[in-house]
Amino acid sequence: MIIQTALLIALVVFLALALLLRDLLKAAVALAVASIMLGIIFFRMGAPYAGVFEISVVAGLITVLFILTIALTKPGEDVKESKLADIVFPLFFIAFIIIDALVMKGLMRKIPAVPGSPEGAAFGDVLWKGRTLDLIGQIAVIFAGVFSVLALLRKRNKHD
Amino acid sequence: MTELWYFYLFFAAVIIFAGLFGLLTRRNLIRLFIAFEVVSKGVSLILVSTGLVKDHILTAQALAITYIVIEVSLVATALAIIINIQRRTGKLDIRLLTKLKG
Repeated sequence: MIIQTALLIALVVFLALALLLRDLLKAAVALAVASIMLGIIFFRMGAPYAGVFEISVVAGLITVLFILTIALTKPGEDVKESKLADIVFPLFFIAFIIIDALVMKGLMRKIPAVPGSPEGAAFGDVLWKGRTLDLIGQIAVIFAGVFSVLALLRKRNKHD
Repeated sequence: MTELWYFYLFFAAVIIFAGLFGLLTRRNLIRLFIAFEVVSKGVSLILVSTGLVKDHILTAQALAITYIVIEVSLVATALAIIINIQRRTGKLDIRLLTKLKG
């Protein structure tokens, strides 16, 4: 439990760094490190498949996409951020943590316990038999993503 | 078990709050998207921790994987849109995108 708490605190710290760091590249790397932390947390929670996906896809692929976009949009990077937000963020953040600690437990008692049906024995059974429609949806989403990226980044004709 | 659930939801709420604060205050489009990613980390944590507490970790994993696939597709599309915006306007400032005034 101590290791899990340390990992969760590290996750929050790296995500806060991703939001606060001025350099976009460093922010993207902080986000990747946070993803690795979350992946390890998933492993320790007994969810290895979600952990593998989190580390390989989110920490790997999404970070590459972010770094690629930062490299391609270098000239437009100098956007003036609000300085007030940087000052207010830590104050609001600490205030929210205190409110969260005080209120969350009371809120959770009001959530009704819904009984669920028992699961299959293996992850493959659950994914391929129980969530088949999700997989079809995933294939559709991947195709939609690929085609939209192709449409957005195609070379323009002279006639356009 | 409620104690364990509380423990994870506490951290997830903190992460989602930080992400929403970033979404509301940042002006750079890439930074806004990083803030969106932060929110999505909190949502993933809620999904898997709820599965763990309710003894449905396999279903929660399947849902988390679906969520990650959708997230990747969304990020790829959104970053392509951001590159196009930068090519057209030369900037990444969200305040310059106020031409759709009706």
